[in-house]
Amino acid sequence: MKRYIIRRLLSLIPVLFGITFLSFALMHAAGSDAVLQSMDASGITLSREVIDARRAELGLDRPFLVQYFSWLGGVLTGDMGVSYVSGRDVFSTFISKLPATFLLAGASILLTVVISLPLGILSAVRQNRFTDWLIRGCSFVGNSLPNFFTALLLIYLLAICIPVFPVISEGIGVRSAFLPALTLATAMSSRYLMQVRTAVLDELGKDYVAGERARGIRFSATLWKSVLRSCMTSLFTLLALSVGSLLGGTAVVESVFLWDGVGKLAVDAVNMRDYPVVQAYVVWTALVYTAVNLITDISYHFLDPRIRLEGGRR
Amino acid sequence: MMKKEKNTGRKKRTAVLQRLVLGMTAGLLAGIFSGCTVREGDSSTYQTGEESSTKTFVFGDTTFNAENGEADINPRHDNGGWACIRYGVGETLFRFTDQMEIEPWLARSYENTDELTWKITLRDGITFTSGRNMDGEAVKECLEALVSEHDRAAGDLHIAEITAEGMTLTIRTEIPVPTLINALADPYACICDVRAGVTEDGIVQGTGPYRAVSLTPDTSLELVKNEDYWNGEPKLDEITVRTITDGDTLTMALQSGEIDAAYGIPYLSYPLFENDGYTFTGCATSRVFFGAMNFESGITGDPAVRKAIAMGIDKEGFVEGLLDGNGYAATGVYPDSFAFGGDAVTAEGYDPDGAAQVLEDAGWTDEDGDGLREKDGTPLVLRWLTYPSRQELPLLAEAAQAMLGEIGFRVEIINTADHNRLRSDSSAWDIYVSAMVTAPTGDPEYFFTYHCLDSSDSNDGHYHSDRLEELAEEMARTFDVQRREELAVEMQQTILDDNAYVFCSHLRMSMIAKAGVTGLTAHPCDYYEITVDLDYE
Amino acid sequence: MRKLRRTRKQRRMRMQRLAVFSVLAGLLLLTALFAEQLCPYDPYMQDYGSVLSAPSPAHPFGTDRFGRDMLSRVIAGARTSIFSTLVLVGIISVSGTAAGVLCAYFGKWTDAVVMRIADVCLAFPGLVFALAVSAVLGGGTGTAVIALAAVSWPKYARLARSRTLEIMSSDYLAAARLAGDAPGQMIVRHILPNIAGQILVTAVLDMGTMMMELSALSFLGLGARIPTAEWGSMMSGGRSMLQTYPWVVLAPGSAIFVTVAVFNLFGDALRDCLEP
Repeated sequence: MKRYIIRRLLSLIPVLFGITFLSFALMHAAGSDAVLQSMDASGITLSREVIDARRAELGLDRPFLVQYFSWLGGVLTGDMGVSYVSGRDVFSTFISKLPATFLLAGASILLTVVISLPLGILSAVRQNRFTDWLIRGCSFVGNSLPNFFTALLLIYLLAICIPVFPVISEGIGVRSAFLPALTLATAMSSRYLMQVRTAVLDELGKDYVAGERARGIRFSATLWKSVLRSCMTSLFTLLALSVGSLLGGTAVVESVFLWDGVGKLAVDAVNMRDYPVVQAYVVWTALVYTAVNLITDISYHFLDPRIRLEGGRR
Repeated sequence: MMKKEKNTGRKKRTAVLQRLVLGMTAGLLAGIFSGCTVREGDSSTYQTGEESSTKTFVFGDTTFNAENGEADINPRHDNGGWACIRYGVGETLFRFTDQMEIEPWLARSYENTDELTWKITLRDGITFTSGRNMDGEAVKECLEALVSEHDRAAGDLHIAEITAEGMTLTIRTEIPVPTLINALADPYACICDVRAGVTEDGIVQGTGPYRAVSLTPDTSLELVKNEDYWNGEPKLDEITVRTITDGDTLTMALQSGEIDAAYGIPYLSYPLFENDGYTFTGCATSRVFFGAMNFESGITGDPAVRKAIAMGIDKEGFVEGLLDGNGYAATGVYPDSFAFGGDAVTAEGYDPDGAAQVLEDAGWTDEDGDGLREKDGTPLVLRWLTYPSRQELPLLAEAAQAMLGEIGFRVEIINTADHNRLRSDSSAWDIYVSAMVTAPTGDPEYFFTYHCLDSSDSNDGHYHSDRLEELAEEMARTFDVQRREELAVEMQQTILDDNAYVFCSHLRMSMIAKAGVTGLTAHPCDYYEITVDLDYE
Repeated sequence: MRKLRRTRKQRRMRMQRLAVFSVLAGLLLLTALFAEQLCPYDPYMQDYGSVLSAPSPAHPFGTDRFGRDMLSRVIAGARTSIFSTLVLVGIISVSGTAAGVLCAYFGKWTDAVVMRIADVCLAFPGLVFALAVSAVLGGGTGTAVIALAAVSWPKYARLARSRTLEIMSSDYLAAARLAGDAPGQMIVRHILPNIAGQILVTAVLDMGTMMMELSALSFLGLGARIPTAEWGSMMSGGRSMLQTYPWVVLAPGSAIFVTVAVFNLFGDALRDCLEP
């Protein structure tokens, strides 16, 4: 197991190199740069000399490869550089946004599981009856609302019509996290409860369920012990992917709720062509995905010992 | 027999599920409520703070962010000066009146002793929020720091030497700079105490009615009353400026009462506030939405085509229909509030039939009847380059596409963030439509210097006019304000007669506040928002 | 005997359901196909005289801020939205599943390489990718589809891979292998049928998600080009009107809802019939 984990972590290195280089190249291919973008935003025309001077200051006048390797050199010596836009240290800025992102991701996953698991099971057990249709109907609605729309709707209902929650976050707290988390959970639950429903239906159709009932085992016991357990693998895959994308930040929701996480930081950085911040973000997403995937694969092993880990197969 | 068995099975299942759902719902609710109670402690302390007659105010703004160059309120850093002056922290030596004329502010008077020398007398009895007295030496230090750190300021001011003597300041420039006083009214010239320095968060000590105590970029700025303010007593004890980049969030935050006033509410949300609960204040700014023609292009190189474009865009329709009246149809470069703006010049009026006739006469005809005109086999396709970061620009493009479509154009919209690279390639576009501030310092020279001359960096369409060059040369050495204004009118008329540019609309900036908020007035230069007069009943 | 009859009855009901939903899905596709003929007005005709007018007999869904008829725009948008979403979901589900199954089946270096590529794609922020792709290829719906496909296929690959691994470890497959089935046969006969249901459900449910993702790109100016009618961008464009002129958002919103619902139910019915 230990060797397996080390091997997986080592495989992160080429991914990181590939990904940072790719993002650097793509950002350059996308054209424009931090200086020009800030000119658009302010609407103040700058003279050629001022633009050139600022570029030189940021090192944007150097060839592309030189820029990449000097960035890489900095990172290897523990320096992620400073933001082109705010002039602040990238590493500490980025770290300061993480707690908010973790809280929001955690809260949305929790809400998602709490909503989708019971509703999915209920919907499966009551297949094709009123409850089932109602739940599925809600799931379609949730599935067809863009995030920004859900967000605005929830704010309208729960902050203006019934003023229970604040519109703008009052710092990083549970009360402020509720609406953004519910927004994200609405979309995710709508999908997961259908997955849960499918998985449970699959299991309920299997012979052993009828068999256990024939043997007089209570249905609740069957549901809890066998059915749920066998649904876990597929549910887990989906949840793991979601955790990954949530930790990568959720640009729309973060900016609607003024949630000060990495998603908003990243969108702003991309818009402003703030390369050092974009690179930090790309490294972060790569780390998150690798970690999440590793944990998922290991958990598969525990959830269902029949699945062997990559290293040990054949 | 079989049926009965099935029924009991179903009942059992339902019971199990009910328990399951109930349990989970209870857990969820418990979670929410425990969350609420944790936060309640905080909000109650906040309320007691209000009861002890501390007057607090929350101002929501969409523009206070790093993207606009306002990562902090340090005037020497990017556009930090805008935030510094808007939120009442810093003040400049001179300011603009409502007619965009210059008047002294921290200065008492000025004298232009010769073309290169300016003598400025400062107002007495002003102290920085750091406690230091504002004298000639302090202002000298501030301006010297400014030109060494801020490229744009250095380029505008051309300062050779500053000498301070008591409350007078003598500035000598390298070349004649007729607009020096205007430049000193630009937000970058906010006078701050350089010795007190800039904190890590970018906070400076100015002379304004409020003092900044904490700043989180892209999030918020906390201000407290400046007890020793020189020009009256600030009415509020604490102000929070919240960065709310999303317009809809801003709207709902104002509706829910979490903020007291807002800058940047989307036009379409205005109807929500058009009632007794809120007050509006707004005026035209010098930010103009305009198209620059490409003189290298086979399409817009043709004077008839340019004329038809100028005649074919329904500016009133755009402003009234699409912006819902939140803008002003433009004639020339500057809005009405400027002495040399608005109707001081004339441009082609909206006349689609006339425009069609102009095209017809110039040989652009629709032979095959498909609605698209051609001339010598070249179809009348107009590549309209613009960018999405200003919400009005794509709307203008879409509106113009339909309007010009009626008179036989096919407008291809290139709406991209990469417009700055594209526009330097004159084979890639025919008209470049952008939104720019045309007179940030109230003086007309700026626009022409940057956009219309042979030497202009932004003259990507390679417009050239001998007459304009002549006038510009005269303006560069004219110190007389009256004459500068006359020149400004002539220069605008020149570019309009050539139809080299088409000015569509001026931005109307608006602030919406809760009823009871007083002293919040929109200003045409868009620099003064939180002032000593701001109050909330 | 009795059991057999019940399955027959069930099967007939399933077939009926499938028929109903395939007709509905077909209707949607036909609407998309004949959008131009179905529009009561020109969806691109601007009229500043009737800007943002509320739903009325003349304009059942009202008009937008350009004074264009919303009903016509919703119908015209069906083509852009439904077709681009179908193409996108088709590309990612097929390519993702193929990659996943092959990885699981062949293992070793195939698995390692493909999964590393999947890692890079998954870990690569979609926004950065979409921006760059659109800058290189120019905007438009096609570009948006390519950008989204590139970052979305690994989801299917991972799902297919984990399901295939599960199936491969079953005794049933070991028996098939002993019986000497060739790899191609094994995959087509034993693996694909077993995972098809779940992939199909995921794909059909993804219709909604992908429609949303496309609209998010339109919102950033990377999707449908002005003035193309597309549901997602119509909704994004109308976001500030939710409280003041709700029909501008609700019309495309309902269109998305109906489409998502129909395709979901269709997918469900299809799955019921496909599975033994």
